[in-house]
Amino acid sequence: MSAAVDYFRGPWHIAVFTWREGIRKKTLVGFLILSLLVIFASFFMSSFLNQTTGGGQVETEIDGKLIKDICVATISIFGMLITIFISASVVPNEVENKVVYTVLSKPVRRMQYLLGKFLGVQMIVLANLALMTALFLIAIYVRQDEFPKLLLWSALLTYFEFLVVSAFTFAISCSATSAVLPTIGGLFIYLIGNLTEYLKDVSLRSDEADFVNALIGNVASALHKTLPNLQKFSIKTEILDLNPGAPLPAHVYEQIPNLIIYGLAYAVSGYVIAYWVFRRKEL
Amino acid sequence: MSVVIETKGLSKIYESSFRGQDVYALKELDLTVNSGEIFAYLGPNGSGKTTTIKMLLGLIFPTAGSIEILGLKDIASAKVRQNIGYLPEGAYYPDFLRGEEILRFYGQLYGLSGKKLETRISEVLEEVGMTHARRRMLRGYSKGMRQRIGLAQALISDPQILILDEPTTGLDPIARKEMRDILARLRDRGKTLMISSHELLEVELISDRAGILYQGEVQKIGTIDELLTDRDLTIEVESASEEVLGTLAEKGITPEDKIEGKLILRVPNDMNSYDALNICKEQQLNLVAVAPRRETLEELFVRTVGEAQNRSTT
Repeated sequence: MSAAVDYFRGPWHIAVFTWREGIRKKTLVGFLILSLLVIFASFFMSSFLNQTTGGGQVETEIDGKLIKDICVATISIFGMLITIFISASVVPNEVENKVVYTVLSKPVRRMQYLLGKFLGVQMIVLANLALMTALFLIAIYVRQDEFPKLLLWSALLTYFEFLVVSAFTFAISCSATSAVLPTIGGLFIYLIGNLTEYLKDVSLRSDEADFVNALIGNVASALHKTLPNLQKFSIKTEILDLNPGAPLPAHVYEQIPNLIIYGLAYAVSGYVIAYWVFRRKEL
Repeated sequence: MSVVIETKGLSKIYESSFRGQDVYALKELDLTVNSGEIFAYLGPNGSGKTTTIKMLLGLIFPTAGSIEILGLKDIASAKVRQNIGYLPEGAYYPDFLRGEEILRFYGQLYGLSGKKLETRISEVLEEVGMTHARRRMLRGYSKGMRQRIGLAQALISDPQILILDEPTTGLDPIARKEMRDILARLRDRGKTLMISSHELLEVELISDRAGILYQGEVQKIGTIDELLTDRDLTIEVESASEEVLGTLAEKGITPEDKIEGKLILRVPNDMNSYDALNICKEQQLNLVAVAPRRETLEELFVRTVGEAQNRSTT
């Protein structure tokens, strides 16, 4: 037990250090301020519409829908940008400014170092998501006068979607010398992750009789099975469309643990790839 | 005096994917650093100094050869890491942190905590003369102060060995002198210091041994006294005509410098001092001063590297 605590003590301190440094990054703060402004603006926009239509139950629901749509889009876009940006930059930046030399010359193994950096990234991503979600919840609460508990489930799934992209962006960053390539890589992963479902269509439509066609089908099938499918997390939008006070439908509730495990499995895979790349990296 | 760092046949080859030619960053380096000494690791840019240091720290990996630190081949072991402090050249420390916070972070990586850590932070800050600035943000530090806080992070675990990459580069003369004094004090306390530097005058003043590296190979290694054996004489005279200088040159006495109108002549070390003075007298030169002279580390460095360059081009 003591050995395990000792082992994780180093990564924990590195994570806290990463968090403290990360939350001060100007680009990240800029993204966050922008997203909070948009969320805030959605609230004012709905207030304006309320005044012009005279209010009432129907208008309140429309307002709520407007706020939800704007906020969900904002959290998805800015949250993902923050996730990619921070995941892509923490390791290359430390290699560039030589902090990694001072850390790895201490009794810190590369696996511990990466674990600390990855945990630090997740702390930043979670904090940003929590801040944006909190403002979103307040906006909905003020407009609909009911605490939208269901949105917390949606936020949870959004985090696991971010986690998958973050892990693979982090893995790319461990082989890169600057944050540019991993940032592009992260955006690519996000894009691919949302298109994976189409690969299934390709594999289903392929003609087994034609060699080239069959080959494309098999490759598409293999990619569909291995690449993360971010569309699986789209259930979060289904949750958003429910009445905030309504109970979570059973079929949605059942999927949540699976999606969490799915996200964690891909995150662990991303971390393993990151370590495999970084293990013998010449610094 | 025990050996704390030893490399045998240490080589680093970078494979060139385009030209098909391998680049030798380090060639079969045999090096020893003894306990309690200041070892100056010298060489021009690209000679392999930083490559060696990075291999000692496990940041890059040797192509061939072995490294032993404190008698252990596993240089990533906790025992080795606990006993090595490293100050990289031009390292960055986050501006938003206070001096003591930086040290707290690095101390925690060594497993220090609580009162023990706070005591150690106070000790190292005292050691590097930074107690007054411990609560100040790093953005308010001068370059010299940053370098001293960098040294403090290397010292936080009270390591036996300190590896310092360019510890005085970019510092003003006062900060350089202060840093030199700190390093000398550390050596006097029994620490082993391996210093890579281009500030040869600084290094000469405090080092016990030096090694000169060129193109990945050690050209010279030894104690400072062993290395700087060339001793000669300088004669300062009022002035000398071109004709007189020509006559002196034929006899081996060459002009070395001109300071405030006075001419400094260098007498070769195989010439008797009295003979040199008689030659000057014959040429009716007005003598101002006569002084013995030892070759400096800088001169030895330039000569050694120059010879190595000539050998590599022929």
